[in-house]
Amino acid sequence: MANLIDSITASRVWRSFFRHGWPDTEINRSLVMTTNIFFHLHPVKVSRKSLRASSTWGLGVIATILFIILTLTGILIMFYYVPSTEMAYDSIIILQTKVLYGQLMRNMHRWAAHAMVLVVVLHMLRVFYTGAYKPPREFNWVVGVFLLLMTLGASFTGYLLPWDQLSFWAITVGTNIAGYAPLIGPKMRFMLLGGFEVGQNALIRFYALHIMALPLLMAGAASVHIWRVRKDGGLAMQGGQEELLDIE
Amino acid sequence: MAVETKDTKAFPRGELKTYGLMELVRGTSPLVGKGPENTVFAFPIVAILEALLAIGTTLFLLLFSLLRDAPLEELANPDLTTNPAKAPWYFMALQELLLHMHPVLAGILVPGLVVLFLIALPYLDNDPADSGRWFASSRGRKIVIWTALYTLLVQAALIGFDEFMGLRGLGAASPAILQFVGPILFGVLLLGLPLLLLWRFKPNRREVMLLIFTVILVSAVVLTISGFLFRGPGMHLYPPWNMPDGYNPWSSL
Repeated sequence: MANLIDSITASRVWRSFFRHGWPDTEINRSLVMTTNIFFHLHPVKVSRKSLRASSTWGLGVIATILFIILTLTGILIMFYYVPSTEMAYDSIIILQTKVLYGQLMRNMHRWAAHAMVLVVVLHMLRVFYTGAYKPPREFNWVVGVFLLLMTLGASFTGYLLPWDQLSFWAITVGTNIAGYAPLIGPKMRFMLLGGFEVGQNALIRFYALHIMALPLLMAGAASVHIWRVRKDGGLAMQGGQEELLDIE
Repeated sequence: MAVETKDTKAFPRGELKTYGLMELVRGTSPLVGKGPENTVFAFPIVAILEALLAIGTTLFLLLFSLLRDAPLEELANPDLTTNPAKAPWYFMALQELLLHMHPVLAGILVPGLVVLFLIALPYLDNDPADSGRWFASSRGRKIVIWTALYTLLVQAALIGFDEFMGLRGLGAASPAILQFVGPILFGVLLLGLPLLLLWRFKPNRREVMLLIFTVILVSAVVLTISGFLFRGPGMHLYPPWNMPDGYNPWSSL
């Protein structure tokens, strides 16, 4: 058995996938992080304090997880959803009644969307109240503000897609608010809706924004955001805590 | 025995090592000013924690989704306005504001200023000395608690005042006063009073930011709850458990 495992892990195929040994030594634990695309956003070493729940409450990680859940459930829903005013509502009914686990997929997508808005806001509160926006993290804070706005946009554009009374009037009310801006307001509203009221053009625009434009932008911005956390030195913690050293 | 100075505390002298200054270079790194780190290897602990969070979040969502279905009303009908017609909950603060002031104020100026403030924040308050500490100090914590209580009371009172009496009830009639001057005055008071009070304690920038941010945050929370939970048909205030026409605010989630 041990021989078999050895011969597998020593094979050229295995070693082309995993370019390091079993991660039980310092060098291999470093290599896990630096040779893996998904791990490399993390630092090789993290401070003990950043692992404590009360430091971050894991909110940034949870927001990322919700984004992934939304992407996966969203792709499954896309196999059934038709973005036309004639068929959108029916396709949701079919998804809920005829598709195996269709209702569950939609439920998870819906609740994850609300949860993500909430978690992203809570994440921002944590960062603000711990003063983690200060140099050298100013840029990352600004990226975070845009990620919050995009999260709202992604949720809002998805809200229209079921094409029921709830979504129709919520988007009518919501886009009316955008229309109030002096001079550019009505033009902005027209651009968003592709017309003067919520109709087929609005549905297809919201759909394109919801399934493609905003998720792509968010994935890009989130990558920058997470990478920047590492580049800025991880968890903000100068001064204050007992294990910190008072260096001028 | 070496004298304990700040430097030796940060970088304890190894008794068996010798040290020499090799070169001086300009520049900083993320570890500048941090000293010897109290760190562990990220692998595997970070991967384990993230996996646990992923499993927990997914399980929670799955259970919640089994218990509660996403809402779906009748097919959209542009000729039949729902009453009330509400935006999604995260925009209800804006829609609530719209009930109290001119749309240019509520829909553009206030949210625009809030976003501008958020973007400008790290450039207005850029002293990293107290970053990483909740509320900066015990004084900061007090500022946040008192500001939150004050904003909660004043914001709720303002909503009630506008619903049941309003400037109109005080005799004001001109739209300019009702929609612009009045609301702006209330807004300036809401933020200005606690700032003025704080000023007497010679606050630093972080403390000023704590106050401003908390006023914005608690206002947004109160406005959202009021708009989402307490507004019923005709966008009037009702107790959420006793809405007319069988309207249930939670059904719009």
